[in-house]
Amino acid sequence: MSDHLLNDLSLFAPETAITLTLVAAILADLIFRRTPLVVAALVLAGFVVTGLLLLGQTGVNASIFTGMIAVDSFAVFFKTIVVLAGILVVVFSMESGELNSPGRKLGEYYALLCAAALGMMLMAGASNLLMMYIAIELSSLSSYLLSGYTREAPDSSEASLKYLIYGAVSSGLMLYGISLMYGLSGSLDLRAINRALPQVLSGGGAASFTLLIAGVLALAGFGYKISAVPFHFWTPDVYEGAPITITAFLSVASKAGGFAMMIRFFKVTFIDAGAVALPAGTWATLQGFHWVDLVAILAVLSMTIGNLVAVWQNNLKRLLAYSSIAHAGYMLTGVVVLSNQGLAAIMVYFGVYLFMNLGAFYCVMLIADKTGSEDIDEYKGIGGRSPFLAVALAVFLVSLTGLPPTAGFIGKLYLFAALINSGWTWLAIVAALNSVIALYYYVRVFRNMFLRTEEPSSPGITLSWLQNAALVVLLVPTLLLGLYFTPLVQLAQASVRLFGTP
Amino acid sequence: MEIPLSYYLCLSVVLFVVGVAGVLTRRNAIVVFMCIELMLNSVNLTLIAFSSFLGSITGQALVFFAMAVAAAEAAVGLAIVIAIYRNKRTVDIDKINILKW
Amino acid sequence: MTVESLVFFFLAAFAVTTAVLMVVQRSPLVSAIYLIANFFALAALYLLLRAQLLAVLQIVVYTGAIMVLVVFVIMLLNLEEEGRVRTRIAIRTWITVVLAAGFLSEIVYVFFVAGTPAEGTTISAGAESLGTVESMGEALFGKFLLPFEITSLLLLTAILGAVVLAKRKG
Repeated sequence: MSDHLLNDLSLFAPETAITLTLVAAILADLIFRRTPLVVAALVLAGFVVTGLLLLGQTGVNASIFTGMIAVDSFAVFFKTIVVLAGILVVVFSMESGELNSPGRKLGEYYALLCAAALGMMLMAGASNLLMMYIAIELSSLSSYLLSGYTREAPDSSEASLKYLIYGAVSSGLMLYGISLMYGLSGSLDLRAINRALPQVLSGGGAASFTLLIAGVLALAGFGYKISAVPFHFWTPDVYEGAPITITAFLSVASKAGGFAMMIRFFKVTFIDAGAVALPAGTWATLQGFHWVDLVAILAVLSMTIGNLVAVWQNNLKRLLAYSSIAHAGYMLTGVVVLSNQGLAAIMVYFGVYLFMNLGAFYCVMLIADKTGSEDIDEYKGIGGRSPFLAVALAVFLVSLTGLPPTAGFIGKLYLFAALINSGWTWLAIVAALNSVIALYYYVRVFRNMFLRTEEPSSPGITLSWLQNAALVVLLVPTLLLGLYFTPLVQLAQASVRLFGTP
Repeated sequence: MEIPLSYYLCLSVVLFVVGVAGVLTRRNAIVVFMCIELMLNSVNLTLIAFSSFLGSITGQALVFFAMAVAAAEAAVGLAIVIAIYRNKRTVDIDKINILKW
Repeated sequence: MTVESLVFFFLAAFAVTTAVLMVVQRSPLVSAIYLIANFFALAALYLLLRAQLLAVLQIVVYTGAIMVLVVFVIMLLNLEEEGRVRTRIAIRTWITVVLAAGFLSEIVYVFFVAGTPAEGTTISAGAESLGTVESMGEALFGKFLLPFEITSLLLLTAILGAVVLAKRKG
């Protein structure tokens, strides 16, 4: 028994490291009250150590803590995304003018960031519905608190309340779905449910109808986490109201956790493991439960509504919120494909999305710190005032649109290829049309930055060397992965293995 | 007469729907929280009913965790409500522009 | 009608009545009192289902901790009743009613007409010993050890954050 536990603990090392960082951040905050940078450096180091420990888990394929958590290459990939986002967001936070205003204590901020990251890492690995619920709640609770952290700003606490109400309702719906699945199958373990389902479904229409309701309710929880339409209502308000560093973290890490969990839920639970005569790398769904259609509808709605509403936005943070809803839609199309190729495409997309989206938010943060505004009309003449910053933002936005030679193009290319290969041509066409709409609203930003003249009084924007360095760190992968993408693709293709699936 | 499982399940669905209706129609943030608590409790009833009829402890364990989470959520939610009240002197979710397009 | 079914129907009626009253009451404080009454009814139902520990926890955690906190905040903020005028809400209310009715009828259909999903038709024989402190403790520290530990972190996070958000400036 104790040997077993020790073995489990050794595979749990990254999560343990981030937990210890959390506790250390709270203690360090008490000791170094006057120097918030100490805590920031400590948390940064903690995230780096967690990342290094994750590297040591390459190739592991195991289930630990009586089946609560799976440690497989799929989980490790998404945990790495979360940790990388964490590292970058800690660096952003050290630079942020909004957070580092005089008199604000940041110790708890960093501790909550660790808690959120831990929750998202657990989401990536959870293979039991109970563990999924706890992981969602840990990441959600700390996200509510983080988005309300600048509490003297009315927007911030409003955002926090909206986030909490939507979050609590959707987790309530999800819990109801979980309870129905438990009633149907008698278990909360994904693989046990998978084994029980064929017999349940053979019972006839009522059982498969109940399963459909359970699936829809569970989808409410996942949809909320990845901000897919129609569970997206919180996204624009929270993205606009929260401190921008947190917006950036939520847009990447929270989505990564949510996607990992959703894919594991559907793939482990509803795939017919006994199906024969299938081409390698494709999956068969269980008879009598057509969840793929549900996901396809969600994908189309998210892409279209996200992009269409983004056209009308004037606040760049809010615009990026709608664009992130649209990106959730693009990534959902990879789930519909039902093959390892689609799964790898989602991972490639996440790999590039990490850099381009964080980069875009970082530029918005730097500009907002200097000009005090996130309004697109205030971006007039930024190109003249700070050429490097403007060019960097332009590159990130081009990449988000998905044009070559940036990394975003590669992400979209792999998704579209997977869609067309598996016969979902209409979905690929919808996604391509949506990219055109996206181009329209991003061009508005370019035009303001480069073609409109600045007002004479506006001062130039100068960046510190650390800010320049951070921009370069984000810019290089965004451009490089557009040209030399083989390593990322290979990594994604090697990471499609989930524990307990063929 | 032994009470069948479906009676418990129907009772819990009724309570769940009443809770959802409350969340959608009420405007006071604290009352909305209470309605969410009602939803969670109705789910707990479903889980315990399944657990007893199936003879497995898993459902009751999940209820235990759901209670702990509900307590944490209530603490955080009320702290946020207090923070909002300090800024805006109201806890009416219509006045704080919820569901803004 | 056995005693047990009489008790069930009484508790069920009581729970639904208090739930509805909670939702329609305009004063937050009165709503809170109805919700507490509802929680007592649920605790009694848990006892009918042989879940002793959870019945006690229901009272201790929900009524003793959560609802006391809620009532405390309501009184602290001295909230007024919600106004009667709600023009814009009318549409939302109708949507709610339609959605709720649809959902309700669907699930009731599944459970009642088409039969229940779970296999057992009566409370299983072992249920009596299932909900005791002993068996729950074994489950929590055996199979569910990791979620149990993570929950402690969840509570730590909640305490930390609640203090940060609710404390006054400076």
